Amino acid sequence: MGTQTSQIRNSETSNWTSRTSAVQTKISGFGFEIRDWFNFKLLRRVRYLLVLPLAVLVGTPAFTHDIITTPVTWNREISRIFYSRCAACHREGGRAFSLMEYQETFPWRTAIKEEILERRMPPWGAVKGFGDFRNDQALTPEQLELVTSWSQGGSPEGEAKDLPPKDKLDEMMKESVWYGNPAEEDHRAGEIMAKGDFKLTKGFLLDGLFPKTVPENASFQILAEFPDGRIEPLLWLDGYNQKFAHSFLLRAPIDLPAGTMITGIPSGATIALLPAPKD
Amino acid sequence: MAFLALIGTLAAAQQTPQPLASQNAGDVYICPMDPDVRSNNPGKCARCGMALVAGLPDPVEYHLALSVTPRPVKPGQPASLSFAVHDPWKNRTVTNFQLVHEKLFHMFVVSQDLQVFLHNHPTLGSDVNFHYDYVFPKSGMYRVLGDFYPDGATPQLIAKSVIVPGPAPKVAALTRDYSPKDAENLNVELVTEPQQPISGAKTQLMFRVKPGEGLEKYLGAWGHMLVASDDFIDMIHEHPFIADGGPQIQFNVIFPRAKSYRVWVQFQRKGVVNTAHFDIPVKQLGQ
Repeated sequence: MGTQTSQIRNSETSNWTSRTSAVQTKISGFGFEIRDWFNFKLLRRVRYLLVLPLAVLVGTPAFTHDIITTPVTWNREISRIFYSRCAACHREGGRAFSLMEYQETFPWRTAIKEEILERRMPPWGAVKGFGDFRNDQALTPEQLELVTSWSQGGSPEGEAKDLPPKDKLDEMMKESVWYGNPAEEDHRAGEIMAKGDFKLTKGFLLDGLFPKTVPENASFQILAEFPDGRIEPLLWLDGYNQKFAHSFLLRAPIDLPAGTMITGIPSGATIALLPAPKD
Repeated sequence: MAFLALIGTLAAAQQTPQPLASQNAGDVYICPMDPDVRSNNPGKCARCGMALVAGLPDPVEYHLALSVTPRPVKPGQPASLSFAVHDPWKNRTVTNFQLVHEKLFHMFVVSQDLQVFLHNHPTLGSDVNFHYDYVFPKSGMYRVLGDFYPDGATPQLIAKSVIVPGPAPKVAALTRDYSPKDAENLNVELVTEPQQPISGAKTQLMFRVKPGEGLEKYLGAWGHMLVASDDFIDMIHEHPFIADGGPQIQFNVIFPRAKSYRVWVQFQRKGVVNTAHFDIPVKQLGQ
């Protein structure tokens, strides 16, 4: 652990085989990292001696020639994320190619990483943490990190015993906003169609928002400006794709008094304000 | 809600740190903060010092409710922030938390123009909410990040947004700024590998501090980093990947998108916390 040359540590994921730089070399998965910012020649000699046996011992390269450099596996972490966030569409008989099985997912590993980092998938279409939604489908920072780590680290399958029970899969999928008929719009009696800045003439208990029309590639923040001066964030649409239309249902209804301004809806966009169901 | 309830059905049995049913007890021990740090034996994380836990709780998101008083909050005037954490299964208030880097709750506040940065620690009140008094210095939008670890769950990093009424600040485009920074009692230099960071690929951020002696751990780590994209969408919290108390500290970051990012780093020397920031434009591969 000295400052001078190589350091050995538990490591994060990295596909060192793709690197051309000798600044860093590492291997993990119950493994170690061999790294040195300065002693590159020594490192180059040593790394093959240590890395290759470790990779054989701890890796799971059954489906690939990539060297496994991550402890994150399909069977343990990734399948759980995919079943809850992707399988509603990405399944046999679904609206997109299946990502239910490891063998189906592995060829897409790089594209998956890019899609999730760009927030194109899952197609939630809103910025996390602006408004609070009970049907939020966006990946959490932890889930993003796990999928990225798995994708970059050789995408191992892991051990069969770690796979979650399949009988829970249907339940998990059915809770997705895209399960069933995702194009079905969320119509409610008493809904308000908001275009541009919009002033409420009477009180409204807001349960959610449904984007009816959104200009392509639009990014905008919808706010509620209350008569007393406070401003609450409602929804920040970014990358919303009409093809994957869905409602944004608030975790708790917001009581909007008469005189509240709904602002931030740009020209060409129509947002339905959904009233809370009456008991 | 029903979705979360079902997820909860799957994960409810894992509310205490115990192995998943599908795993053999004691097979692996994992750092809850750095999920890539694992061992076949119990012990402490070599990176951050947290105790490794057996098995792997499902990565379920908790709910963080933030209330700010007075309403409306006014720039330059005292405000009280209150954070309530609820479990995703029954929406019950969470009462037990693990320490994360010596604190139960870390809070970051960043202003829309990326000029305001705060890393501090709300305290747990008798109402089991976390409280912090703060003066928002100007109007506009703020992102408030809560970093906490409910007992038996996984660490949570949850963003909230607060809007202080008034004119929105002018947001300047970020340009590359790797210039050395004079902080409180440290000079901080940055080199990245690769020199031009690429979105979706790992970037090593290697900091060298001068003077190189007298460094101390700050909140259990040799450094802390917050990364924010210039469009205020990506927020990333990192700790050093390599650090040993010497003058070189390395963080590894995967910048998600081809945007410009502001990176704040904090290092402690001789009891003084140093904060510096750098601006890093990130490009797409082939751009």
